[in-house]
Amino acid sequence: MRKIFQIALGILAAIGGFVDIGDLVFNVEAGATLGYQLLWVVVVGVNSIIVYSEMCGRVAAVSKRPVFDAIRERLGFGVGFGALVASQIVNLMTLAAEVGGVALALELLSGLPYRVLILLGVAALAVVIWVTPFEWIERIFGYGGLALLVFVVGAIKLHPDWGDVATGFAPHGTSSDKLVYAYFAVGLLGAAMTPYEVYFYSSGVVEEGWTPKDLGLNRTNAIIGYSLGGTLSLALMISAAALFLPLGVEPQFIGTVALGAQVPLGTIGLLLALVGILFAVGGAAIDTCFSGAYNVAQFFGWEWGKERRPSGAPRFTLAWIVLLFLALLVIMTGVDPVLVTEYAVIFSVVALPLTYIPILLVANDRAYMGQYVNGRVANALGLFYLVVILIVAVTAIPLMILTHQGQG
Amino acid sequence: MSSAQELDLGLGLLDHQLVDCEGRRCGNVDDLEVVGVRDGQPRVAAILVGPPVWKGRGWFGRLAAFITPGGAVRVPWEEVERIDGAVHLRRTARELRLGRGDDRARKWVEWIPGS
Repeated sequence: MRKIFQIALGILAAIGGFVDIGDLVFNVEAGATLGYQLLWVVVVGVNSIIVYSEMCGRVAAVSKRPVFDAIRERLGFGVGFGALVASQIVNLMTLAAEVGGVALALELLSGLPYRVLILLGVAALAVVIWVTPFEWIERIFGYGGLALLVFVVGAIKLHPDWGDVATGFAPHGTSSDKLVYAYFAVGLLGAAMTPYEVYFYSSGVVEEGWTPKDLGLNRTNAIIGYSLGGTLSLALMISAAALFLPLGVEPQFIGTVALGAQVPLGTIGLLLALVGILFAVGGAAIDTCFSGAYNVAQFFGWEWGKERRPSGAPRFTLAWIVLLFLALLVIMTGVDPVLVTEYAVIFSVVALPLTYIPILLVANDRAYMGQYVNGRVANALGLFYLVVILIVAVTAIPLMILTHQGQG
Repeated sequence: MSSAQELDLGLGLLDHQLVDCEGRRCGNVDDLEVVGVRDGQPRVAAILVGPPVWKGRGWFGRLAAFITPGGAVRVPWEEVERIDGAVHLRRTARELRLGRGDDRARKWVEWIPGS
């Protein structure tokens, strides 16, 4: 019973922890611009992250090696170092965007000045990271993020044309600008598969000392947690499509995202949406911050881990402090968090193959994985989504330039 | 280290995590010193660790070595106890002069309450 309870808690945290600022921005913009046409892309993205997250968790539980260990080992020092630099740049951009998102949500909740709230937000994140155990960080932010379920209720209450919604789950031709369509498809895939998620997850598996006995939990977390988390993404897109597309509104602010709950549900909807955004984005900020520290520590072989005391893994500790500070500097310049998010997601797409190819290789190495090596299904799905990832990686930046970030 | 098991040096040893006898992570296998290649009996004599060693690891390695301070450390092969996902060593990192960067960085963190 206790075990079932624990699994349920983990899943709840995964649902709340799935959505970050990238998902908020891209799902809402895609809905507002293209209606329900790209719902199927969310399904593809969620399936892809399920396949690779399960693989990363399995590799970590069996071999005790997180993703960046595998990257350096399979790509060698040179290419691995390139992957490290690329992923750190993307991580920093993502972290800056999440910090900006936290400040924007706080601004809408409190009415205090934005820059003051950036400072307060970063200070609060630093204190939470410093004093709260790993497990509780995940739970606090995961459960808080569940407030985003208000968007599911909101989407239903907006009475979308369910026939139209259903057709969005199958890819078909578009009457809109094809490049804009492709740009949002790429962005949605990137937002669903953000690489920091697997860096963080696999390091967490090592930190929490999972063994092959936990592989069932690993699979359940990945499948149920991400599927239900993906439902939130779908709800965001559906409510944006129902609300903004007919009005021709292009949501450029986090406040506009919250309208998806406020219009159908009133003030309580708005409050829940903002609280959900605050926790989801705050939790993602912590995950991203740690991912950066994990990556650099694992690449260079430093001691790492949140489970150790900060002085027990000093370079790891300094790494996350420095990353948080750099993100603070970036966002304090006044750069628009929504714009930073778009760049972060698109650039992260380019770095995806460098993350997932080594994982696929290691998951197939019997010397490492023994009986837990990839089966046929995992390999077929892994290869299929790798092809998707490669196509997306090659087209992401050209599409961003050609469409002026989806503006057409 | 004595084992009849086959080990692929490129995949099974190079770039792997080093762990000392107390379970502390203390660097990666940055390169290997191989002797006896000419007499047809090559064997690994030592594990090489540290920024100067990266110079032999391609263009990015040279760049990384150029921007990172720190010396090279040679860990004789006899210090290796066993190899699984990581390379486990017989002695402490301090005795082998490994993980010194973490030792130096500690003073930057130790003053914060709760560290």
